Amino acid sequence: MRATVLSAVLAAGFSFGAVTLEAQTSADIQATATVLSAVTVTAGNDLQFGNVTPGVAKTVGIADAGAGRFDVIKAATQGVTLSFTLPTDLTSGADNLPIGSWTGGWNTSATPAGATTFTPSPAGTNTTATAGTTISVYVGATVSPAAAQVAGSYTGDVTMSVVYF
Amino acid sequence: MRFTWLFVTAALVAAGRPAAAQISVIPIRDLAFGPVIVGIPTSIGPSHPVRSGQFRLTAPLNSRLRFRLTLPTTLDGPAGAKLPISFSNNDGILVSSAPNSVPELFNPKANQVVQNVSSTTTNVFIGGTVSPAGNQQQGNYTGTITFTVTIF
Repeated sequence: MRATVLSAVLAAGFSFGAVTLEAQTSADIQATATVLSAVTVTAGNDLQFGNVTPGVAKTVGIADAGAGRFDVIKAATQGVTLSFTLPTDLTSGADNLPIGSWTGGWNTSATPAGATTFTPSPAGTNTTATAGTTISVYVGATVSPAAAQVAGSYTGDVTMSVVYF
Repeated sequence: MRFTWLFVTAALVAAGRPAAAQISVIPIRDLAFGPVIVGIPTSIGPSHPVRSGQFRLTAPLNSRLRFRLTLPTTLDGPAGAKLPISFSNNDGILVSSAPNSVPELFNPKANQVVQNVSSTTTNVFIGGTVSPAGNQQQGNYTGTITFTVTIF
């Protein structure tokens, strides 16, 4: 009788152990995405300094007639990052004309008046997330011709890249 | 004598049973694709520093663990819209919190069996790819990823 009871206890014990040898737990995270329309950027106006005088720096501000302009079309309610590749010199053949002191402004209206100012840079500038579906971006700078600057027509590329953030 | 055996048997059973409280899984961050453009697939790798999904698993040292990820095939969006999501064979990374631990790639679509020999804490990272159609409904999409761990 004792042996019978012991066997039953062992059987019950091992059965219990087999069931509970595994312990399980779990947790959830979310996969999330926001689908947006494509963002586009087009060149509006060139940044134009016009005639400059040797030895005299000339600045074009974002509200000046010669300001450069880009136009951005994007999804509503989503901000974008404006990144720039900027020249340090304009060139005319082998001659260089230094350019710097870059200024920028972006606006949801097609006017520099009331634009949010920023400093264009490769690192990029974020617009606000509620900035409509169109943005106009204005760019200004200063050229600094040397006293012995060679006469000529100087040009350089200003590139703006736009991505959602 | 009979009660002595009963006690011994019960003690053996208790010692061999891993308590559920000994393992834990904590959701650390979502797999966040962020903005994606219609018609353009977007991938987030499991090693992405901020956008990859992450769980943190804690279990006694030298535990044998079996885990699986329950993965969505679509994310749910506005007005019943669905956004396809997929996972490649290298979209999972396991890395122990032990010093000098080496991250290990794994297939998040397959069950995994591991033994945590170097640390009680293991971080699990997951990446993936969403593939919006050219006419994908714009808006926010979400889906659930479940990480289940069994200790045995």
